[in-house]
Amino acid sequence: MAKIDEINPGQEFPPQSNPVGKYQPIYYAGSSGDFNPIHIDPEFGKMAGLGGNILQGLCTMAFCAKAMTDLAGDPGRLKMLRVRFAKPVYPLDKVEVKGQVASKDGGRIEVELGAWTKNGETQVISNAAAIIE
Amino acid sequence: MAVDKKFIGKKYPPFVYEIGKEKIREYAKSIGDMNPLYHDDAAGADKYGGIIAPPTFAVVYANGPVGAMLFDKELALNLMMLVHGEQEFEFGEVVRPGDIITTDGEIADIYDKKGKDFVSFSSVSKNQNGAVVCKARWTFVIRG
Repeated sequence: MAKIDEINPGQEFPPQSNPVGKYQPIYYAGSSGDFNPIHIDPEFGKMAGLGGNILQGLCTMAFCAKAMTDLAGDPGRLKMLRVRFAKPVYPLDKVEVKGQVASKDGGRIEVELGAWTKNGETQVISNAAAIIE
Repeated sequence: MAVDKKFIGKKYPPFVYEIGKEKIREYAKSIGDMNPLYHDDAAGADKYGGIIAPPTFAVVYANGPVGAMLFDKELALNLMMLVHGEQEFEFGEVVRPGDIITTDGEIADIYDKKGKDFVSFSSVSKNQNGAVVCKARWTFVIRG
């Protein structure tokens, strides 16, 4: 039985921590094709007013997806994932994904989640939800 | 400079992508996801006949039309001020190596909120059997 099936509505799922290496935006650029200079060039990131290069939002979303598929056991059970990119993630941040099971209706499980950096002080993913079936 | 609402509904050419096994492994590794189902044919043999793509591999096979929009000279988005605001994926059939995925996309909405321009793009990806594998909504914000 996958973990998600043992978690009741209102209960949190086990959080996951994702360290972001200095070159993570470059690895992710290579694998995803997103070479926007704000992600791979610290100087360009500063020029754009971001204080440096920032991680691709979709990479942070992938961390959220990993938390969900690990809970579901079979990745094919993840039917929906929605996120808002609230704040940038920077190299050397640690992204913590946490949340709770919101509801269960038959085989449909709704999960509310978010992601934080700076030891929980900065919410980088908000308004996030997933559906696991 | 506000983005012109006349571009709502603008469609971009379909994008065809053939799923490769090593690209799946490379992508999964890059997001720190070593789930054996994405790396080891034996792990998914019974259920899927081999490895499968992580759900968010959609960013690889479905990014053609949205990329075309981002670099659309007619739309002329200010990429330096553009950030990804929101993303939604609905997943259908699981994606496997050898699948041929075709993605159609169009500008779903252009609006302003709190003085910022929002551009929302919708895409639908189907496999070689015509089954939907992913519907996506990509929302970008042009800062200040």
